[in-house]
Amino acid sequence: MNAKRALSRVRAPDETGAEQRAWVVIHTAYQEGLPASSRRVRWRFAVLPVLVAVAGAVALSPAGATLARWVKHTLGVPHASSALFSLPAPGRVLVSGPGGTWNIAADGSARRLGSWSDASWSPHGLYIAAVRGDHVAALNPHGTVMWELARPAVSKPRWYPPSGFRVAYLSGDTLRVVAGDGSGDRALATGIAAVAPAWRPGRADGPYELAYATRVGQVVVRNASTGRPAWMARPGLKHIRELAWSADGSHLLVLTPTRALLYSQNGRVTATFSPGGPTLDGSFSPDGRQLALLTGGAVDRVEVGSVSSGASSLRPVFSGSGLRQLAWSPNGRWLLVSWPVADQWVFARVVGAPRIAAVSHIAGQFGGRVSPGGGFPRLDGWCCQRWPTGQ
Amino acid sequence: MFPPAEPVPVAAEALAASGPLPRRGVRRVRGERALIRGALAGSEADLEELFRRFWPRAYRAAYLIVHDHAAAEDIAQEAFVRAVRHLDQFDRRRPFAPWLGAIVVNRAIDWARARAARRESVDRTLEPVAAPDAGGYSHEVLAALASLSPEHRAVVVLRYLLEYTPGEIAQALELPRGTVNSRLRRGLDALEHRLREGERA
Repeated sequence: MNAKRALSRVRAPDETGAEQRAWVVIHTAYQEGLPASSRRVRWRFAVLPVLVAVAGAVALSPAGATLARWVKHTLGVPHASSALFSLPAPGRVLVSGPGGTWNIAADGSARRLGSWSDASWSPHGLYIAAVRGDHVAALNPHGTVMWELARPAVSKPRWYPPSGFRVAYLSGDTLRVVAGDGSGDRALATGIAAVAPAWRPGRADGPYELAYATRVGQVVVRNASTGRPAWMARPGLKHIRELAWSADGSHLLVLTPTRALLYSQNGRVTATFSPGGPTLDGSFSPDGRQLALLTGGAVDRVEVGSVSSGASSLRPVFSGSGLRQLAWSPNGRWLLVSWPVADQWVFARVVGAPRIAAVSHIAGQFGGRVSPGGGFPRLDGWCCQRWPTGQ
Repeated sequence: MFPPAEPVPVAAEALAASGPLPRRGVRRVRGERALIRGALAGSEADLEELFRRFWPRAYRAAYLIVHDHAAAEDIAQEAFVRAVRHLDQFDRRRPFAPWLGAIVVNRAIDWARARAARRESVDRTLEPVAAPDAGGYSHEVLAALASLSPEHRAVVVLRYLLEYTPGEIAQALELPRGTVNSRLRRGLDALEHRLREGERA
């Protein structure tokens, strides 16, 4: 056989499918590369001093004085428990830090899963997706690796709710999707900002719609099976830091450094929360009806409000200097607030009579260190209301 | 139970459909310069035409070097994304294919070199992702190519699949012309030897 002729007759597997998938990615890269946001830069510079002035005015106003009265604990909650003996609600907490990833049970017992980071629970707590260097992996709750893929600079793996049939993750600035058993890994879009993608909750078998943020500050919701966009917001939302869907898939929360925006399932902005200071974290309650926001300022504060009522319904839950993250308990009754400078976790009850419980020495228990800049264990999720038997 | 995967394409089936890729309508053939100009001006149709014209060979070239269709898809995609992002820097007096091919082949060589250090899966009970199971000529050619180093494979693929001249290969891979010629000769000899052995068997 002539080698040259044989070579010219070789076909690669699934050429047509590969071509269709590649076109989606390249088309996206092309659209996102078109000049779109250069005009926005000027007015952003104009708006910044206004925002600073508004924040200052709020701090000095009577409302600001009211805020100051919320500050009861600047160096941590007094009489905090010296170790985590139990969680106040069912479920398990996942944390990652310099000491690796830990799976913490409701009775306070903790299992180290290994030197992983950026972990996330599968919808029913059966598996954990996590990353390590250039590897993304699925683990069981005991830390056994179920599958592992090597891709460069991986981060932020997220399972599709409610079935876990898909996992989305970032590899550099590329958004990739892999089936829940580790097969069929492929790129979906490129030019992605370093923000965790968010699956829109749907039926077990899809449609698999995924929200992500691009480097030009655009929120895109795309069908991961067909590659077609469901909707795209106007670009220009710089420094998007978080995306989260409500449990019924009707609202998408988009956090920027100064605002929290609620988008409807069709891509319209239905509510805007502008707290007058940095927005640090935000999360929907497990039933999707309430929104918890952590905002910064002279003092950082945690507020909870009804999604349907918007910003006017926000009520204070807890405040302190140097708060970092929020996580809802699976039953929606408690909020876990991480407080690195105080080396504490604070549990705040948000349903029924208010109650605060705190645990100290968190960094030491989970291999981290007390640091406002990093190193304190990161909350990766609190799952699930009904814990699978045998775990 | 672990969540089942969506069916993934079976390589053998895909290889069986080894005819030319389906044409999308009958239209006047435009030169690549016009397509690049159109794409730079914002024409998605021109970009798509450019993509459809050059994708199959880019993907095949990557596949023949790395022998992993998922990696080949990634490599060809990344090369196209890079090309699209740098289209405005492309010298339109030169042909597009060698420019794209050089990106694909260099990435494929890097990937093949790094492969030994990577683990694709640690769970042996799971099926590999659509393991290539080529049949007929493809299987023999792939087996023969696998006996070559990534650098030799790249030279052979550039010459006989992408139809580069030895001078263009030397430029794309930043190699002396003599090295290209010797790798081509050795690569082709090895391929023909393996293919003859396969025929006798």
